Amino acid sequence: MANIAVQRIKRELKEVLNSDEVARCSIHVELVGESFAELKGEIAGPPDTPYEGARFQLEIKIPETYPFNPPKVRFVTKIWHPNVSSVTGAICLDILKHQWAAAMTLRTVLLSLQALLASPEPDDPQDAVVARQCKDKPQIFHLTAQHWANAYAGGPSINTDYENKIRRLKDLGVTEMNARASLSSCDWDLERATEQIFS
Amino acid sequence: MAVDEESDTSPRNSTGGENTENKRNEGRGEEERAFECNICLDTAKDAVISMCGHLFCWPCLHQWLETRPNRQSCPVCKAAISRDKVIPLYGRGGSKEDPREKLPPRPQGQRTEPENTGAFSNFGFDGGFQMSFGIGAFPFGLFASTFNFGDPVIRGHGAHGTNPANLEDERFLSQLFLWVAILFIFWLLVA
Ligand SMILES: [Zn+2]
Ligand SMILES: [Zn+2]
Repeated sequence: MANIAVQRIKRELKEVLNSDEVARCSIHVELVGESFAELKGEIAGPPDTPYEGARFQLEIKIPETYPFNPPKVRFVTKIWHPNVSSVTGAICLDILKHQWAAAMTLRTVLLSLQALLASPEPDDPQDAVVARQCKDKPQIFHLTAQHWANAYAGGPSINTDYENKIRRLKDLGVTEMNARASLSSCDWDLERATEQIFS
Repeated sequence: MAVDEESDTSPRNSTGGENTENKRNEGRGEEERAFECNICLDTAKDAVISMCGHLFCWPCLHQWLETRPNRQSCPVCKAAISRDKVIPLYGRGGSKEDPREKLPPRPQGQRTEPENTGAFSNFGFDGGFQMSFGIGAFPFGLFASTFNFGDPVIRGHGAHGTNPANLEDERFLSQLFLWVAILFIFWLLVA
């Protein structure tokens, strides 16, 4: 790995770990292994969003050409959000692509991701199904995002109606993860979800 | 979609700013941090400053411009930026080495002569000095002026092309003119 990249990551880690965001547990970063090429990030779901109270793990890969090219970031924790793939965790965010600038840091990236959680952009989606729900049925989107945050990221709100529907599908031999994904994409219509799974 | 970059990459003073800034600066003086390159986050070496006022090491900024030849923007505030529009900073303790001999070459400062007071003697002195110097160091004078003349043109081009090739060009050109000058002197001596 290029020397400038290693030096930058070292400085950035110091900066992040001394920041007030870390002090109030809003963001966190740590190295994976010794190489400075991969890091583990974590962001807290912003207040007044369906993600409040949940924590999301991120995979951060530092390219050889950092900081001239952006880090590669992906959600490891499953999340229901129009700009994040509900399957792979891939993120659609301009600063991680063409809007990257060399003065940006891991701290600004994590804060931008937090801002993305607070204001989804369904018109520039990564996950088309989630984006459509976000636009057409905002109420259901909110509840679904909240439910996923509870199921995968330690969020506090329990939705018994959704849990019951998942249990019904599980009784038919469907895995919990598949049941949740199908029901979510069918706006929690049990009949449609069953049809989607068994056709 | 992103946090507003400008406000985000600049030091924040919103919530409890002062306290955290201090914590963040542990071990490094506030003044020292003010002269950090915005790309490598180290004290700027071969420093240049953009028109928007942002400080970089020239090698760092050069690599950034090479990475995005088609959309050259300031890494901090995304204002338009280019090789010709950055100003080198020469501190007192800085290197006296000709920056052009380094790779990548740092753009030159734009230096305008102060207004001439119009004194004839002053003018005369200048002329005389230049003349004696011109003859004594003829090939080198020509060598230097060629180098400087050709520079902006080649440089402007260089922002888009590959750098080592341009340096080769420059070296070739200056060598060519040096030989022409030597031949000219030889001819003067013979004739
Ligand atoms: Zn630098
Ligand atoms: Zn700028």
